[in-house]
Amino acid sequence: MAKKDKKPVVGFYGLTGCAGCLLSFIFNENEIVSLLGMVDLAAFPFIKGKQGDKEFDIIFLEGVVCSNDDLDMLKKLRAKTKILVSLGACASTGCIPAYRNFIDEAKYLPLMYEKVHRIKDKDPKPIDAYVHVDFTIPGCPPNREEVKSFIKQLILGKTPRLYNDPVCVECKLNGNHCLLDEGKICLGPITRGGCDSVCTNGRFECWGCRGPCPDANYEAFIALIKDKGHNSRTLKERMQSFAGLKLPDELQIEDAPDYVG
Amino acid sequence: MTNFTLSKVDLNAFIKSLSKNFDVYAPVKDHVVDGGSVRFKVVSDAKVICLSENAYYPLKELFFRKKEVLFKYSEKGLEVPVKKVKSKAILGIRRCDLHSLANQDRIYMREVPDPYYIAEREKTLLIGYHCKKAEEYCFCGSIDLQGNADIMLYELPGNKFLVEVHSDNALRLVESLKKIFKKTDIVIDAESRKIEGSNRLQKKDVHSFYDNPGWQEGIDKCLSCAACNFHCPSCYCFNIHDEANVHNMKEGERIRTWAGCQLKSFTRVAGEHIFRDTRKDRFRHRIYHQLQYFKERYGTTLCSGCGRCIRFCPTKIDFIDILNRM
Amino acid sequence: MAKKKTTIESKFLPKKVTILSYQRESADSFTIKVDFAVKHEPGQFVQVTLPGIGEAPISICSYSDKFMELNIREVGDLTKNLAKLKVGDKLFIRGPYGKGYPMKDLKGNNVIIIGGGCGVAPLRGIIDYIEQNRADYGDVKLFLGFRTPGDILFQEKIKGWGKNFDVRISVDKLPADSCFAGPVGFVTNMVKNEQIDNKNKVVFVCGPPIMMDVVIKILKEKWFNDDQIFISAERLMHCALGLCGHCMIHGKYTCLDGPVFRWDELKECKND
Repeated sequence: MAKKDKKPVVGFYGLTGCAGCLLSFIFNENEIVSLLGMVDLAAFPFIKGKQGDKEFDIIFLEGVVCSNDDLDMLKKLRAKTKILVSLGACASTGCIPAYRNFIDEAKYLPLMYEKVHRIKDKDPKPIDAYVHVDFTIPGCPPNREEVKSFIKQLILGKTPRLYNDPVCVECKLNGNHCLLDEGKICLGPITRGGCDSVCTNGRFECWGCRGPCPDANYEAFIALIKDKGHNSRTLKERMQSFAGLKLPDELQIEDAPDYVG
Repeated sequence: MTNFTLSKVDLNAFIKSLSKNFDVYAPVKDHVVDGGSVRFKVVSDAKVICLSENAYYPLKELFFRKKEVLFKYSEKGLEVPVKKVKSKAILGIRRCDLHSLANQDRIYMREVPDPYYIAEREKTLLIGYHCKKAEEYCFCGSIDLQGNADIMLYELPGNKFLVEVHSDNALRLVESLKKIFKKTDIVIDAESRKIEGSNRLQKKDVHSFYDNPGWQEGIDKCLSCAACNFHCPSCYCFNIHDEANVHNMKEGERIRTWAGCQLKSFTRVAGEHIFRDTRKDRFRHRIYHQLQYFKERYGTTLCSGCGRCIRFCPTKIDFIDILNRM
Repeated sequence: MAKKKTTIESKFLPKKVTILSYQRESADSFTIKVDFAVKHEPGQFVQVTLPGIGEAPISICSYSDKFMELNIREVGDLTKNLAKLKVGDKLFIRGPYGKGYPMKDLKGNNVIIIGGGCGVAPLRGIIDYIEQNRADYGDVKLFLGFRTPGDILFQEKIKGWGKNFDVRISVDKLPADSCFAGPVGFVTNMVKNEQIDNKNKVVFVCGPPIMMDVVIKILKEKWFNDDQIFISAERLMHCALGLCGHCMIHGKYTCLDGPVFRWDELKECKND
């Protein structure tokens, strides 16, 4: 257990992203005061200054690396902290921004804001493509319980563990009706759980925002979806949208030539 | 014991009367929230009851809770929470689910008396329903079914049930409702107790199949999602973990939750070694536990033949087919 | 329907105990003595709890109904946190559980004990037992293997064992600055090179799975029968009551039917 007089120094930072993952910490409305009592919160966008020279015990970092500025910041933060936690899908899998890796440049360049050209610097990648990441809290956004539980476990002296079972486990425990059986393309069986199956609880199919489940059986899953009469291109797009960069390289989803956005 | 008849018109009056002392559960079909599947829910009106389909999720969750607080801990010590439970009357339980419930009772009431389970289970009134015809994946006819309801309902011509009473309490209850339960001489013969078309499993002794190459067939389709475990009315494995109270980290709860043996995490030990690593090993373990291990230890198969693990498997892996081919 | 109302105690509820002594054994293991006074067999185990951290099975390494000693290797959350405790601190224990070594049935035999690393812990209970019932057993030979001299467990105890028993110790690796004089190499080599026959002997083996496999192969080459060999199995365990299912090996619950198995009970299905 951490000594009473020394709370871990914690910082929240964001690279290119929507800041939604940072909110998954704030969303613990009823526990936020207790959580803040356990840690020394030294940095949080809009709430607490950036304190550039401070040394951290834990940094929660959201967002994707898609510019040189992002990469500089990532390297600086890695040097300043003992534990680096990738917070959310962008930092962990690349998420929607990384979908750009699968589209032709000519298709997306005209869609960009005119003045924000720095996001062209690099192909968007999750942070573990560049630096060592100690822990991952995936999800778009992460389950607020996970962020809370992560801090609790570190304070108790436990090693936080990533949930390794598929989304189906929690979906079944939540008593949902299987959306695959309803003919929908639900990525639950190949997606890492830990989200409390929040989407399927609302009868919306899983899009795989938490990245692949380590024990995923892709061949069987792809065959199942095709069997249900779905277009393999639709399936490929769905599987690539949140976790494309984390899918196995050799995975064959569709036989058609490269799809251009 | 004497048999009775109950007109289906009077089912509503029966439920109303039960509701005075019990939470009355019955299978209900809901298209909006449950995608058209049948669930055991608290009912106050017979209109919503659907007896024509077996329930999507099994009954066990009413007793062997998905999440159970084993004890609370604090600086003062450990304390088992006192459960306040309203008695349950459950209507429309099929023979397969009664078998599973008998197995769960065996484990959690007799082998290792479990106060959490017993608190939920002990004052429960079970009202069974004899389904006449097997559904596509059912194979209860291949299983030596155990387990009895307090009251058993059989379909009779003329929109009626034949009512068999199997316990003293149930008899008192039925006799107190003279207006709706009428004495009868009709008895159910052995032939009518069978369920048509349910003998799918030809090979009941799996003992010699352990190394059979047939296990690999179909297992390539397994997604390792553990749907078979969580839909199973008999599976009784669980995990235990501690959950600290965020407001005072010296307090918290030890919690028991359902576990699935089809997941790698089920046999993962320190050092990341997984004993049943392949899908085949995990699948075969489940079938062996269902059809052999439990029988060796306790005398009945754990499996009840309800077929849920096949029907609700996303890829419909039919282990009956696999076994029959061996 | 309704059954007579009785208060049933939860089998999951552990008892509070105090640490009486704490001995560091090696860089990653230590032995604690607690005031948990229960009758037990050597080779049985207890479930140790630190509230908030969790619960784990730990084998009993002593043989006494007045106290209990537990040798613990720091591998997981619970054991790492147990290591931070000190004399006088409290923890929670329930048990003992499982089947231990059937010492009473094995009276009159010569005993061979083969242990590797933290697998020596449960075997220590046998040695304590034999010391207390010395007349019941013949010759006792111990083959103990550790990674390095710094990993040798129970060093004080082992000195005492040397007076009564034939004790052999080997280390896998010898650091340059070590003054260890015994053989270097796997414990399995010591067993292989030893002239032993199977007459009136029982063998107790505990260690990493790979070591146990090799030892059993060697014993079979020396014409030992399956029912002369006893091993201790390791599985994930949550309840220790024969319920939770995690520790099941081909229908056998490690927590009820084990952790000690006679080799013929397990040889067909040890990987299941």
